[in-house]
Amino acid sequence: MAVRRIEVRERVMEKNDELAAEVRRRLAEHGVASLNLVSSPGSGKTLLLERTLQELGPELAMAVVTGDVQTENDADRLARWTDRLVHAVVTGGACHLDARQVGTALDDLDLAELDLLFVENVGNLVCPASWDLGETAKVVVFSVTEGEDKPLKYPKMFRVSRYAVLNKTDLLPYLPFDVDKAVAYAREVNPDLQFFFTSALTGEGMEGWYDFLRTHARAPAQS
Amino acid sequence: MHEMSLALEICRITEEQVGREALSLVREVGLMVGVDSGVEPDNLEFCLDALLAHPPFTGVRISMSVESGDDLRVTYLEVDDGGPPH
Repeated sequence: MAVRRIEVRERVMEKNDELAAEVRRRLAEHGVASLNLVSSPGSGKTLLLERTLQELGPELAMAVVTGDVQTENDADRLARWTDRLVHAVVTGGACHLDARQVGTALDDLDLAELDLLFVENVGNLVCPASWDLGETAKVVVFSVTEGEDKPLKYPKMFRVSRYAVLNKTDLLPYLPFDVDKAVAYAREVNPDLQFFFTSALTGEGMEGWYDFLRTHARAPAQS
Repeated sequence: MHEMSLALEICRITEEQVGREALSLVREVGLMVGVDSGVEPDNLEFCLDALLAHPPFTGVRISMSVESGDDLRVTYLEVDDGGPPH
């Protein structure tokens, strides 16, 4: 019996990262910005996107890739507000989207006529933090019905996100949620995190989010 | 449960390195898990145990070292190629 050792030293995420780089290159080639929306289940990502598609649709050409463990319910809701592609990925148990799935979705999109691509990731504050999908930036969405300490409990997600949306602000009068404390916790983890405060239900704060999207969609995408 | 995706990717890397026909010759897979990698070593080991319990991986051992950093790497493979000792 002869046992030999093969040195490998390959990063386990290398294949995904290669595919993410290819997604990023294709989007940059057409000047398409992309935002990967990550959150726990029930933070209001889908309603945020529904309202965004409805109200900003006349100005910006937007498409969405949605990920859910089961059902295409989110994609069906979003498809009511846009004629452009809403691509549903049913992960069948996987807790995150990967770059291969986003790359496949791009095959069905006319990137030349697109300004902005949203990826609505699987609701999960742990796993999607580790997967590069080729996005321009991750946006972490959390809501006032969750604890202020979400950023401390899930630091990696807040660390890898460049933007944060605190949603459901219409419920603040009814909840003991301390916004300042939540922001302080988030900045403790990521001092550069840029915040938006929204109620996707009432529309409160959405104009600031739209201004950001307008600027973001027109900035040169990075390859 | 992204550790299961990672475990599957570790199996794919192993196959890529040695070839499908030689998978049954693999004896040990060396892994390096970064403390900031977002990977829970016990959970990853649990997932790998589940995958490696079946052919062609039956009997493959996992040797995991936890180090600083945010990387997760396959560091080496030990293969019994049946030849004379190297």
